[in-house]
Amino acid sequence: MKAYELIKETFCRRGYIWIVHVVWLILYGCFWWLFLPRNGTEFGQFGRFLFIWGGFFLPLALTAGIFGDDISSGRICVLVTKPLWPGELYLCRLLGLSLQSTVHFILAGCVLVILHLIVRKGSIEHLGLWLLASWLLFNTVATLSMSLSIVVGRTFNSLLILVVVVTGYFLMGLLGMAMSQKESSGVLTAFIRYPWPPFELLSKLASGEYEKYSLTVGRFSIAKSIACVVHSLVLTVVYSIIGIILLRKRQFSRQRD
Amino acid sequence: MTISADETMIDNDKKQAAVVECRQLTKIYQKLLAGKDTAVCALRNISLSVGEGQIVGLIGPNGAGKSTLLNLIAGLIFPNEGSVAVCGHPARSIEAHRGLGYMPEHPVFLGRYTARAVLRYHGALSGMSKQAISHQTDTLTEKLDMGEYLDRPCTDFSQGMKQRLALAIAMINDPKLLLLDEPSNGLDPIGIIQLRNFLKELRAAGTTIVISSHRLGELEQLTSDYMFMYRGQVVSFADKPSGAHAGRLRIELVSDGKAIAEKLLPPSKVLSATDTKLEVAVGDPREVPDIVIELAKGGARMMDVTLERENIEDVFVRLCNEGT
Repeated sequence: MKAYELIKETFCRRGYIWIVHVVWLILYGCFWWLFLPRNGTEFGQFGRFLFIWGGFFLPLALTAGIFGDDISSGRICVLVTKPLWPGELYLCRLLGLSLQSTVHFILAGCVLVILHLIVRKGSIEHLGLWLLASWLLFNTVATLSMSLSIVVGRTFNSLLILVVVVTGYFLMGLLGMAMSQKESSGVLTAFIRYPWPPFELLSKLASGEYEKYSLTVGRFSIAKSIACVVHSLVLTVVYSIIGIILLRKRQFSRQRD
Repeated sequence: MTISADETMIDNDKKQAAVVECRQLTKIYQKLLAGKDTAVCALRNISLSVGEGQIVGLIGPNGAGKSTLLNLIAGLIFPNEGSVAVCGHPARSIEAHRGLGYMPEHPVFLGRYTARAVLRYHGALSGMSKQAISHQTDTLTEKLDMGEYLDRPCTDFSQGMKQRLALAIAMINDPKLLLLDEPSNGLDPIGIIQLRNFLKELRAAGTTIVISSHRLGELEQLTSDYMFMYRGQVVSFADKPSGAHAGRLRIELVSDGKAIAEKLLPPSKVLSATDTKLEVAVGDPREVPDIVIELAKGGARMMDVTLERENIEDVFVRLCNEGT
């Protein structure tokens, strides 16, 4: 009952959440319909679109102010006086978001398969892998956004992640180019790759860049692909633990009277 | 209620099991990265013990520390020094929250939810079963006169309805301790009467209630246990020249009022004296007959004697004016 209400709340807390899901599904369809070459055999171009919109922008839209709004409005003051472990509040909301994304990506897959069957355009090879990568990225970004929302007021958590990711990747790209000849570039690459949302590793996993190690090959070693998945899940857990600790340690008060 | 501030104790001889136990509480608000000059001491060395079935009124001017004390008891903030226990458990523990109901000053709800959905949500968060939530919702709806609004979205609610719903949320798990921050804000007169009767019923059933309110007249009808707070400290009513139930005795005389007052009454008791009028401070109404007999024996020819009792509002104004 408790978990059900908290999970339901992630979908009902704002009027626009179902609209976001519908708009995103329409976007996938439009991109497929309008921008994919008729004779294309590669799914990668569409896969990246799905990965960025579904895995990155969708969690930002769904988690905007997920704790921040509660804190700035004072609603959290009643929530935290209920006999709940703070982790329950956090994890049930994460579960709610994760369930939403699961349904979202299943529906997205169905839409794409139906479109493919109707218009006979593009390819749906690796579709499952791109959906898996998008789902894993969604969870990582959603957790990071939720944890940030505990310390950042109102809906700024999503905006902050967006700005930091765009700026960060731009700067790192520039630095990478400048330092490509130096030995320290490896440290920089590792710093970009491991502690932050795993854009690079998951997109490599989905696009089959590990070739014979890719999940799609299967009969060979799949160690690298599994490592990508585990890395993403570990990041989700680490971001969650940070969020739960913040929620436990934070004070909630609107006035000093 | 037992209150202590700076080691000063007031005891009203009620020895119930303590539902709230605060020891040597100090709370300082300081912004992160800001200097110590910006720190505000909201509470200073406060100890408080509230027993079962008591209603305690927190009163004081704005910025006195009333909401800070409520927030500390609710476990929303942490003290810099001291400890808070609710039903014997640390304030922010799950065990403490099992017996706690909290109503904030400005309640906010999920806008798209109806009142019924909000109550179901909070009931579920309190670990109640579907049947228990349904039963409690029906009971509270009837007591708080919310039937008409139960299936409307909260966005449509007036301030008074929001207050009723917030009180129902605080009461959904039938708590042992109810913390109310300005509960009568926005309520119409009938709503205020309903609230008063409801709180009296709760007290009779053994619920402990701590109320922070500026509506002193309302508080006076609910309880005689007050805690006057001023600049983060508790100010004792009993330490003042006249206590919470004290008043002033107005005496009209034929003549020689001033001389009689100097001769028969201690100067600290005489508030004002002219030949025909005397005003005497009275700590306890039972002192009145003795004062009148004393004056009559001393030769005072009295025409009229009136006792003006000091209500809580008078005490509040007096304490504020005295700068405590």
